[in-house]
Amino acid sequence: MRTLNNVLSDLAHAIVHGHETPPDAQAVYPNYRVTTAMTVYRNNYRGNLHDTLACVYPVTEQLVGKDFFRMMTRQFIGQHFSCSGNLHHYGAEMAAFIAGFTPAQGLAYLPDVVALEWACHCAYFAPDAATLDINKLSRIPPGHYPDLILLIHPACHVVRSRYPITAIWHAHQPNAPGEFHIDLDSGPCIALASRMNDVIHVSELAEADAAWLLSIQAGTPLGTATDATQKQYPDFDLQAALINLASKNVLTDFNLGAAP
Amino acid sequence: MDKPATHALPCTAGIGLRAPHYREVLETLPKLGWVEVHSENFFGGGAPLHTLLRVREHYSISLHGVGMGLASAAPLAEDHLSALHRLCDAVQPAAVSEHLCWNSAVGMVINDLLPFPYTHEALSHVTSRIEQVQEKLGCQLLVENLSSYLSFSHSEMSEGEFLAELTRRTGCGILFDVENLYVNARNLGVDAGAFIRAIPAEAVKEYHLAGYGIMDGCLVDTHGAPVCPEVWDLYELALRHIGPRPTLIEWDTDIPELPTLLGEATKAQQYMERYHADIE
Repeated sequence: MRTLNNVLSDLAHAIVHGHETPPDAQAVYPNYRVTTAMTVYRNNYRGNLHDTLACVYPVTEQLVGKDFFRMMTRQFIGQHFSCSGNLHHYGAEMAAFIAGFTPAQGLAYLPDVVALEWACHCAYFAPDAATLDINKLSRIPPGHYPDLILLIHPACHVVRSRYPITAIWHAHQPNAPGEFHIDLDSGPCIALASRMNDVIHVSELAEADAAWLLSIQAGTPLGTATDATQKQYPDFDLQAALINLASKNVLTDFNLGAAP
Repeated sequence: MDKPATHALPCTAGIGLRAPHYREVLETLPKLGWVEVHSENFFGGGAPLHTLLRVREHYSISLHGVGMGLASAAPLAEDHLSALHRLCDAVQPAAVSEHLCWNSAVGMVINDLLPFPYTHEALSHVTSRIEQVQEKLGCQLLVENLSSYLSFSHSEMSEGEFLAELTRRTGCGILFDVENLYVNARNLGVDAGAFIRAIPAEAVKEYHLAGYGIMDGCLVDTHGAPVCPEVWDLYELALRHIGPRPTLIEWDTDIPELPTLLGEATKAQQYMERYHADIE
């Protein structure tokens, strides 16, 4: 008798890769044959993954149309199997996949829109975190500011693009006005996905603010991050950046890092 | 070995609560003792968890997992188990359940509920995994019988016997999905009466009722239709042999308006009350 592991491995290959059904499965049932059963399992497998991708990438589906989207997901599913029992983890590689997907090459902005949708998806399911307590911050002696380690909300994600992906994303939300004009040559865009009161917000960041935020997100102390940003962007305004990011619930807490 | 239940579900009819009905349920607060949700949809924070915590203020919650893969040969996914543990801490559910199935092999996850041969090897394997889950969660796990489209020539026992032995070895409970049993009876020729006699009545903590679809002669467990008359009959048989238990109406595809779902729950409630009355 074959081991459980062997039986399940062969069945997995039969469902995912279309290999022959292993002989351990009975061939004939009262009303159908095992080929029908395998068709049901294969359809379930692909259908569940397609539906998952359609939930994560609604803007992408609108941009390319349902038929093209289905053709695209069929190829994607053939190349990327699921790695988690939690379906919300599936589809992270979609942006990279579309960047190399020849039939979608005409839509140069598509991979970046897909990356932004994945960022929004991750933001939606990110763990909860505290909201920045300004009173607690005000009790820190100013001499310690350079040593502050600011903590960024786990729902915060930054996506860079040569295209106006923030405008594209907003134009395809359910409550967006029907008509829009987007200039694809309007220059680069840095999109910020964040979560406030359980709602996902997509906004645009200035280059300097984004550079500072990414440095802070990497755990750099406030002083070092601010100095480096001001060196590269002399106009960087720390106070304005703090107010802007706090208003988007990007900053959650702080600690004094290596300070005495 | 008997594991303490978290705290029991009320012995009434409940509904599977899905996203299209969150708002209406919270606004109208229909008369229901409890609701069941899919655990994985609430891993993480934000809107899903906060909505569930609001629902929790009005109803007992049953957490029903679809992704643990109790019978997969690969080790249990620690991150999955930890996420479920965190969710249980946050929600304090009245019941936690998973399916008697596998979902992963050779590094691939198949996000479905897949059947496996009921062998002694599988029994030892699933036993140790249920023990691992119960130890981590600190509560009894309910294990649901599976709807299946194929069976294995080298199974050494029936699914009912397999489940009975699992409850004896681990102290887990049984979530008896009546529609799944009906699907297996029609698809695989499983003896429904023998299943009901095989499982220990005291281990059954919950029933599920749902509707199915048909593809080329094969009944498919779609949860996308009303409960059919034959499943109501089988439910009645279960009530007679096992007794009334918290009963859930499950509807996951082509989800109808809330009143339709509540109507099915009312019907289940009426069936149960008939047997409550018989007992008293």
